[in-house]
Amino acid sequence: MKWLAKTIRSERRALERARRRFVREPSEKLLHDVRTTGRRLRSLLEDIAGIAPRRDLLKRVKRAAAATDAARDATIVLRLLESNVTSSERELAQPLLDRLHEEERAAMRDASRRLRRARFGP
Amino acid sequence: MKPQRIDLRGADGVDDVAKRVLETRLSEVRALAGQLESRERRGLHHFRIACKRLRYALERFEALDSSFALAADRLARLQDELGEAHDRDVLLAILPPAMGQTERRLKGEREACVDRGIMLWSELRGLMQAIDSHHF
Repeated sequence: MKWLAKTIRSERRALERARRRFVREPSEKLLHDVRTTGRRLRSLLEDIAGIAPRRDLLKRVKRAAAATDAARDATIVLRLLESNVTSSERELAQPLLDRLHEEERAAMRDASRRLRRARFGP
Repeated sequence: MKPQRIDLRGADGVDDVAKRVLETRLSEVRALAGQLESRERRGLHHFRIACKRLRYALERFEALDSSFALAADRLARLQDELGEAHDRDVLLAILPPAMGQTERRLKGEREACVDRGIMLWSELRGLMQAIDSHHF
């Protein structure tokens, strides 16, 4: 089916573009782009596995998602804590905030390193 | 939770593929919808993932039927609410026990997100009924 091949190609290109941008300049926004384009491609590959299995590609997409999980979690939880901590509990939260800042930096570096080697283009 | 494998053997064109994919993804969402009432972390997470799969499928096939776009939009909003609830669950799990005020605030927000999710789901049920009766 022509439309299917075209859709797969276009979603692979979108993920590859997002990956390159993130690797060039890792940021929260570009990480989000990698994750959303990856999820779209993964969902497509799972939907059409019955007629056009792409096991190797699906495996790579899942691996890329896993490579970004820690960075995403650290970023989201950090922003949430920063915006929700009450002023009277700020001091109590500081050790956790420091730890999350560190985890975020390390997880971003790790995601960027792991995605540097990945390839998704058609 | 793993997505159900869709039998696409002998599928006859994009309409037929869309019908089979949407039918399967709709049934997955419906099967997990009870998790909204339980409000429990893991169940809500599974329901959210099923909604995400259905939403992407609807967006992919939205050229076939204009009602798909509206349902996909509502699913995106439902997903956002449940995602916000999930993020609060993750933070609550690592919050120091002495931070009672922040904990209460986060719990309150979490419940409000789930409430909004329940409201969106009741709206979505009607939209899905329409897709169902029109296509399947």
